[in-house]
Amino acid sequence: MRHILIIDDEDDIREVAALSLEATAGWDITTASSGADGIRAAADPKQRPHAILMDVMMPGMDGPTTFRQMQQNPEIATIPVLLLTAKVQGVDQRRFAGLGVAGVLFKPFDPLTLASQISEALGWKD
Amino acid sequence: MTDAQDKTAALLAKLWVKIQPLVEQRLATLDQAAAAAVAGNLSEDLRKQAAGDAHKLAGSLGMYGYDEGTRIARDLEVLLGGANPSPERLSVLIAELRAAVFPKA
Repeated sequence: MRHILIIDDEDDIREVAALSLEATAGWDITTASSGADGIRAAADPKQRPHAILMDVMMPGMDGPTTFRQMQQNPEIATIPVLLLTAKVQGVDQRRFAGLGVAGVLFKPFDPLTLASQISEALGWKD
Repeated sequence: MTDAQDKTAALLAKLWVKIQPLVEQRLATLDQAAAAAVAGNLSEDLRKQAAGDAHKLAGSLGMYGYDEGTRIARDLEVLLGGANPSPERLSVLIAELRAAVFPKA
């Protein structure tokens, strides 16, 4: 079974994304409300995720900064990260893609198709 | 629609009810910013807070099916991103946003 870590400071986004992925895909979900908590959750060997869905704009450590810190930790550097952003300008999209993340998804996402968007972005066939 | 999608849609409808006070709170911040802009005393802090709330509304309303709300909130975010947003435009967009999200209000 797939296990996804959702990192977003907004409670409702985490809740909608989690219920969407649990209900439509049957995936296991862990959530974190900050970049620092997300790094700790990702590094926990008991709940190592198959992928991370992470907001770009968060107070304190934002998504890109959190991603760069994850890259410094060999235990979690290989976990694919999808950034989640409400920014729609092309320049932002190119900047985020240039970080080396596995993909960029956009807010607002469609809760009924979020799991298929993630699978498509990561090349998951199951 | 599959059973799983039906279930998800039903849960989303419940979540929408739960989240409405937060949406109202964000709209209230936008109202405050518009009132301050009309009075000519919109502070930098309030403008940035309102822009942030518009950003959050833009990123969330569409999840609940309010695509027009997301579009209007994006326009508000852009407007509030400038140093001196037009008070008239601000008031019009906020009224449109409220009507799009709470059509019977």
